[in-house]
Amino acid sequence: MNFIDSWIAAKQAADGVAPTAIASDAEFLRRITLDLTGQIPDTATVKAFLADTSATKRQTKIDELLASDAFVDRWTMWFGDLVQNVQVSNNARETYQGRNAYYLWIRESIRANKPYDAMVRELLAGRGDSFTSGAANYVVRQLQNNGPLQDTFDNLAAHSAEKFLGIPLLCLSCHNGAGHLELVNLYLRGKSRNDFWRMAAFFSHTAARPTRVPDPNNPNNMLVKFDVNLNAAGRYRLNTTDGNKTPRQPPAGGSDVATPAFILTGEEPRANEEYRDAYGRMLTADRQFARATVNYLWKEMFGLGLVEPVNAFDLVKLTNQPSHPELLEALADDFIAKHYDLRALLRTIALSSTYQLSARYTPGGWQEAWVSDYARRYPHRLPAETLLDAIAKATSVPVQINANGLGVVTRAMLLPDPLEGRRGVYGRFLDAFGRGDRDDAARTNDSSISQSLALLNDTIVTTRVRRDGNTTVAKVLAASNDPGTIADELFLATLSRKPDEAERQTSIDYLRAGTLGERAEDLQFALLNSLEFLFN
Amino acid sequence: MCDAHESAALRGRGFSRRNFLRVAGTGLVASYFADVLDPRLLLGATTSANVTLRNSAKSCIFIFLSGAPSQVDLWDLKEGSWTPADLAPTSYGDVRWPQGLLGKTAEHLPKLSIVRSGLAWAAVHQLGQAWAQIARNPGGATGAIAPHIGAVVSLESQASRTTSDVLPGFIALNAGAIPSSGYLPARYAPFGVTTEATGLATLTHPDGTARFTRRWDLLHQLDAARANGALGKPSLDMNDFYDQSKTLMEAPGVNALFSFDDAEHTRYGATTFGDSLIVARNLVASNKGTRFVQTTLGGWDHHSDIYDRAAAQSLYAQCGELDPALAALLSDLSTMPGRDGGKTLLDETLVVIVSEFGRTVGALNGQGGRDHYLRNAVVFAGGGTHGGRVIGKTDATGGTVTEFGWSANRDVRPEDVTCTLYSALGIDYTTVRNDDPLGRGFEYVPDAREGHYAPIEELF
Repeated sequence: MNFIDSWIAAKQAADGVAPTAIASDAEFLRRITLDLTGQIPDTATVKAFLADTSATKRQTKIDELLASDAFVDRWTMWFGDLVQNVQVSNNARETYQGRNAYYLWIRESIRANKPYDAMVRELLAGRGDSFTSGAANYVVRQLQNNGPLQDTFDNLAAHSAEKFLGIPLLCLSCHNGAGHLELVNLYLRGKSRNDFWRMAAFFSHTAARPTRVPDPNNPNNMLVKFDVNLNAAGRYRLNTTDGNKTPRQPPAGGSDVATPAFILTGEEPRANEEYRDAYGRMLTADRQFARATVNYLWKEMFGLGLVEPVNAFDLVKLTNQPSHPELLEALADDFIAKHYDLRALLRTIALSSTYQLSARYTPGGWQEAWVSDYARRYPHRLPAETLLDAIAKATSVPVQINANGLGVVTRAMLLPDPLEGRRGVYGRFLDAFGRGDRDDAARTNDSSISQSLALLNDTIVTTRVRRDGNTTVAKVLAASNDPGTIADELFLATLSRKPDEAERQTSIDYLRAGTLGERAEDLQFALLNSLEFLFN
Repeated sequence: MCDAHESAALRGRGFSRRNFLRVAGTGLVASYFADVLDPRLLLGATTSANVTLRNSAKSCIFIFLSGAPSQVDLWDLKEGSWTPADLAPTSYGDVRWPQGLLGKTAEHLPKLSIVRSGLAWAAVHQLGQAWAQIARNPGGATGAIAPHIGAVVSLESQASRTTSDVLPGFIALNAGAIPSSGYLPARYAPFGVTTEATGLATLTHPDGTARFTRRWDLLHQLDAARANGALGKPSLDMNDFYDQSKTLMEAPGVNALFSFDDAEHTRYGATTFGDSLIVARNLVASNKGTRFVQTTLGGWDHHSDIYDRAAAQSLYAQCGELDPALAALLSDLSTMPGRDGGKTLLDETLVVIVSEFGRTVGALNGQGGRDHYLRNAVVFAGGGTHGGRVIGKTDATGGTVTEFGWSANRDVRPEDVTCTLYSALGIDYTTVRNDDPLGRGFEYVPDAREGHYAPIEELF
């Protein structure tokens, strides 16, 4: 029992909710492998784990997964979603080259386990050629081409506050908090547009100079890259009347230049401290940075944040907005104490009993209102890329998707952004499962009729269960013609567990009732469509 | 943006958006949709007396021009030194019309009613778009749980569905990411379709019907969680979509509704938007349960180069997509028979054209474009609306309203547009549902009950 479990148990006791039992080894293995690496475990791994009698095998498995390459793939996707790294969005064009540089920078940062505060500071201060310096694309992604420079500065301030502090500042970019914010965010009600401008002014020394260069993939096509650099003469001026914001005008008798000040503390840059360096220093040193980050990661692991939505903290409600206020603070303490180590935080969460509870609620009747008591694992649909990769792995038929400039990838989790493959069969499938566009369509794991139709009828699924080539079904049939063995192997490959007695008998009866090969295909098809496969 | 606003209502409660089942109080039930077969009966919604509903339309085609077109170049044309000659302003009665942009639609002007006293609440795209589709402030008390108005239409039509109503009540064609079912069950969420000439490939099982039936039966034998709900509510939402999928697959003639041939594709302008309207027409004509169809035509955010024919996005480019498709739709709907004797399909289908806001008026900005502006216009056709009417007048530039043009004598807000739409479809816009997870009562249109918003009766 770690500190997570104490706080979770305290609230369960207060709410009169009993937690369910700890998950079986098989359930735990599938869950932790999916959550940490975005993959299902293969059959050999499942068998070895179930046979392992060590008392510390769960801890050993967690550490093994944290150190794996697949961990890097899955958390690179997470961070790419967070900062919305994408080749083209409504406002900005990183192009595939900038997107790739950014993707590789994120990947390397995650691989090297760069402390998260250092990673964010590097990003906020990112400079250089956007096609070679990944971090420079943080600025490029927020360029607002259809308005004055201040619109871009505003985007950078609003985006960084939302993504790294979990605070929704965008409303303040157009009006003071007294507008409608009393309904939305009590903390921001007390803030003014001027406070926001001063936050945005941290970016006013930033220049992004475009250069047109030929596209190496197509010499007839020109791409625009940016040199993101210092412009010490830059100012945030209050002199705009068009663009995407309401007019910016100085207050009566006030200056027409907004100077940098951090909205949470009022702190200004030190003498000779470059604005963006100062901003990164203040933002990552603020406790809200740790709170927001642990909350984002908690949601990745549980499907629900301690504060929801994760990008809408209300700083005057820290004692009653979170479902577990003390736990949130304790997680933030732990994250800071361990030097913003993402893997260490995920390890702490994964080791908790809370995380390891079964998805099946056995103490009695379940009520939906208990979801935030964490009295059971509450399964959510696998994210788009994870689901496609799980289908491919369960059937032993990898996908092949071209990622512009990076070559063909054989797992969807390796795609550098959700616009790749959009026109192909895999792209349509991934879109139907809500991968979003890292712009105005957020990732979602809601279900839809398009999804069930795809799972039932898309050839992505139906061809993969065929008993030809090196599919799982073909291999299982080649190894044995015993219906019980075939059922065992297809359950292991698909659901990462053995069938129970009733499931095994149902499967055997089905396999015996017709052509064995055809029936084995049907069995894996049914397992791929089971809710247990689709949810984690 | 401003999706942060989504939070307000859920704060501190840790609710799942799908906490709907809590009202049943009985835990998980696989057939929970039975609870809403007659929503009024089981969930205790209240409505106010003395509300007269038009009940003049059977379905609605909701066309969203996202990015916000310039109302002063289209529906409320204002000419000035900035106006290019090839907009070809032309008079049709009192209406000045951009013949050079919407020449084909002009032939259907007698079917259109234009509301020129529209006013948006927010000049931020996503906020304004969400507002127009959920009929309330996305950051307000019920913003985070609010369903799309199409989901409400779908829910309201649930009680009158028959066995031949196999299609979802709400279908979104090439509409991108739009609000969904909110706190209502997922079955009322939009069925999102990307149109293709051959229809929906996934309506047919590639290995044949017999094989499909066997596989389906095996799946249900093995997958106990579908029956006992052991994996929780989101998994049961998915299970319900499986049931809907099977119904759709087995119903005859469904794929034909989503398909079109070259001739039609061309007649509707040979664009994806045109394809959306072909399918929208098919869906409302089919009478298979779809009551609300949304399509989106984007690319209207003309901050620059609004009159530049060479630009990828300009009034010419966007109207080049809108005009042939809209004209063909109006032409088809008005010549196809409705369900009731003597009525055309247009008589029974309310067509609404909206956008999140309008654009700045007068001369262009420094980049040859127009910026965000709250004043906008809304266009209606069919579904019991009279046609050929103009509601509201603006001044010489279009910047200010001089005459609201309707009985409420104020700006027409997105909430009023929704009241109008609901009234035409026979849905009581003053309804307050008592099944919302916040326990505060969910108003179909906030404050409509108190008379703050109302249908534009002058359209009918």
